[in-house]
Amino acid sequence: MIIIAIVVGCILGAIIGMYAPIIPYTYSGYLAIGIMAALDTVFGGITSIIKKNFDMKIFVSGFFGNAILAIVLTYLGEKLNVDIYLAAIFVFVSRMFNNLGFIRRYYIEKLIEKKENKKSKKKSIDKV
Amino acid sequence: MNKKVLSLITGMICFVLVLAIVIQIKTIKSTNSIGIQTISNDNLRDDLLKWKEKYDNANVELDKAQKKLETTRQVAIQNKPELMKRELELKKNNMALGLTNVIGEGVIITLKDNQGITNESIGITDDIRSYLVHDANLREIVRKLKISGAEAISINNERVVSGTSIVCSGNVIRINDRKVGSPFEIKAIGSPELLYGNLTETITKLNNSGIIVEIQKKDNIEINKYDGTINFNYATNNE
Repeated sequence: MIIIAIVVGCILGAIIGMYAPIIPYTYSGYLAIGIMAALDTVFGGITSIIKKNFDMKIFVSGFFGNAILAIVLTYLGEKLNVDIYLAAIFVFVSRMFNNLGFIRRYYIEKLIEKKENKKSKKKSIDKV
Repeated sequence: MNKKVLSLITGMICFVLVLAIVIQIKTIKSTNSIGIQTISNDNLRDDLLKWKEKYDNANVELDKAQKKLETTRQVAIQNKPELMKRELELKKNNMALGLTNVIGEGVIITLKDNQGITNESIGITDDIRSYLVHDANLREIVRKLKISGAEAISINNERVVSGTSIVCSGNVIRINDRKVGSPFEIKAIGSPELLYGNLTETITKLNNSGIIVEIQKKDNIEINKYDGTINFNYATNNE
């Protein structure tokens, strides 16, 4: 069910995005930062699912809240002549790598565990 | 929270994320296709794009203001035959000056550089420059069009008016002080047969010299107005 929802959401988004009007170049920087924040939240969500402390409310509020906060901070930075968006990108990307590393380690360990289980089973069968 | 709501929310989040990414990619793609890849400095590029956006917005506003002026004028001259006559004269003059969008039958001529030619593929006595479109080629065609009674001419959407200059400027050609590059599309409104017949000779000659030129008769050719200003700094009315 969830996988169907994800696939349908992605396809719908791509199709509507193709026909949506382009945004002015001035605002494309803000949208980019918003996308980075949203992606960061998605990876954070996957990590928390693995850690088994996933909460939908926190996920949804983080998804939109982080994106909006990042956009607002970038706008503020532009007004103050400080490149805050660089800091935001740094934080988001480093967190993304952390989360990706965690996810990767989890699945690799799972894979190795499965293989060893198979081996030990085979050995026990051989002995018998 | 049950499974339905969960999957609905997940789907929505995927939708928003993919939508944003696709729009962003489209925006960046469209801004890259304007032909500004030669500018490597990001800040300069940013500035240029922002100015271009401002310019476009200002143009839209100008159009709106002109429409408003037009309606105001229409209201003002209602039931006044004397003024109506003047208005008609004004419109005619504007059309003659090239300050109105026009539509009609005529010909479209395209001139292209001969891309397949390199320094190696031509003989040692041949000159690679003759395989590129030059300002003189455009001037020749425009002159021929004028002789054949073309009523409106534009090159790559730059209207040719009385004060238009067509000059070479490095690898581009400046028309009305705007840079335009190959391929060139010359639209001309006038008698299609006359234009076609009178230009065939010139076009054959240009084709033989190396560049690629095509001519087509067409109905409903739209030619945009000249969007600069016509100034007289030295000449005054002498009547």
